[in-house]
Amino acid sequence: MKISTKINILSILRWLILSAALIVVVIPLIYLVINSLKLPKEFLSVPPIIFPTEITFEHFDKAFSGKKTLRALVNSLLVSSITTIITVFFATLSAYGLARIGFNARILGLIIILFLLIRYYPRVTTVIPYFVIMKNLGLLDTIWAIIIGHLGITIPFVTWLMLVIINDLPKEIEESAMIEGASVRQRFIYIIVPITSPGIAASAILTAFLSWNEFLIASSVARRKASVLSMSVASYVTDKGILWGQMAAMSIIMILPMILFALFVQKYLIRGITLGAVKQ
Amino acid sequence: MKNKEWKSYSILISPTVIFVIFLQFYPLAYSFYISFQEWALTSSQIPQGFNYLKNYNDILNDSVFHRAVKNSLIITITSVFFQIVLGVILAYLTIGSTWTIRFIRTILILPMVIAPVAAGTLWRMLFNSRSGLINHLLIKVGIVGPEWLSDQTWAVISVIILDIWQATPFVLLVVVAGISSIPKDFQESASIDGASRFQTFLRIDLPILVPLLLIVFLFRFMDSLLNMDSVYSLTFGGPGYGTYTLTFYIYTLGLRNFNFGDASAASWIFMFFSIIFISLIFYLQKKYEN
Repeated sequence: MKISTKINILSILRWLILSAALIVVVIPLIYLVINSLKLPKEFLSVPPIIFPTEITFEHFDKAFSGKKTLRALVNSLLVSSITTIITVFFATLSAYGLARIGFNARILGLIIILFLLIRYYPRVTTVIPYFVIMKNLGLLDTIWAIIIGHLGITIPFVTWLMLVIINDLPKEIEESAMIEGASVRQRFIYIIVPITSPGIAASAILTAFLSWNEFLIASSVARRKASVLSMSVASYVTDKGILWGQMAAMSIIMILPMILFALFVQKYLIRGITLGAVKQ
Repeated sequence: MKNKEWKSYSILISPTVIFVIFLQFYPLAYSFYISFQEWALTSSQIPQGFNYLKNYNDILNDSVFHRAVKNSLIITITSVFFQIVLGVILAYLTIGSTWTIRFIRTILILPMVIAPVAAGTLWRMLFNSRSGLINHLLIKVGIVGPEWLSDQTWAVISVIILDIWQATPFVLLVVVAGISSIPKDFQESASIDGASRFQTFLRIDLPILVPLLLIVFLFRFMDSLLNMDSVYSLTFGGPGYGTYTLTFYIYTLGLRNFNFGDASAASWIFMFFSIIFISLIFYLQKKYEN
């Protein structure tokens, strides 16, 4: 009797906390959607109008009326897909090489820590050198400047992730293929890639997210022509007289593809995020 | 045979080595070099010569730098503390694989996939003292909300709240993964021994979670410390220098004022302390594991 009331209270408490957490996560997102559909004058009314009396798509129309937003969208797609392809290709190959070249555990451990350091040192340190390098290469304000900047982060990061994954594989799985005389290339393509494909998928997804959401490097090496979505969203800050509706619409244009993508690839995304922390 | 394979492996490794040298080591060395140079892009296209430790001296005596260090530490320590506490609680509440629990977990991790710049604009709307949702709801329950983004103290709190909102899901995910990796029979044998749920947590879960939480702490502490995207779009460092974070300070100094020498010196001071901190956490983690 006493035990069951205790369990009941605990279970009620559990659902109360979870509901509160759900509300805190969901309400801001709904509010963003509502704001993107609100008439401009309703932002100024006192007391504030939370639920609009009528819905308008003018903020989205405005966003796409000039070429700017469309160009930023295309640039974002190009930057994140090119970065992802180059990263996954080279980083997976390199991780395989590093895992099999025969370094002893100590050196491999040092390499892993070096890659981790690259991920977590203050990235702003390299922003000025990137600016100067891109300027000297004549790449300033091109998507290649952003892609190269992103590769500097994503290649070490994915190499580290794939190295952790491949290092965990038992060496025996390649042995029989080796005895039959399979080359490094054949073993990589027919054994390693199929076994690690969930890890490769996770790496690709993480890279795409990182590149799509990145702002610091993009805004340092690009201005107008190569502007990406993160820069479009941030640009509303310095505007005088904030265009709330357009700001909300632009944020949705940037966020929505990633939320849908995240729901679709959730399993791999979570694997990628947790793997790095759980396995060292 | 062995030798030939060594060659193929080296070829596989070489692209990453080249990328790391050209996109990490070289820029870092270059940044270190210009941190000792007199160089403002507004007055010259090339560095103006060695000026010893003048840039470092300038930065260490700059009151805005002091403010940025203070802000960054307050924001990071407070928000990471809440992220870890909330993340662990929510992780324990969302253990399981029933349909509802999985659905709840899916919703709870959404803030993490949102770009920090967009999260900044989103919360800028919520915090708006006149038309924002938060003060509107506060008035409904009879509280007059603060001027969130135009008051120095409340602006810092706003940045902290945003950081907690965005990053708690990360802690949640990693802790759920960590708990799931604890063998079930450990917990079962403990419960047969008559240990309460809380005792099981203290004796079985916590020792396994501590090294994991140290790594989570490192990841979160550094990401929060380095954060500038959401500050950029939430407060743009304001009001005044009220929410200048270290990265935001260095970014504006370098890429808005184009004072390359000073900005590089500031980032190397930042770098120095970051490396000490990261090494300390690695050391603690290794020590705990042994």
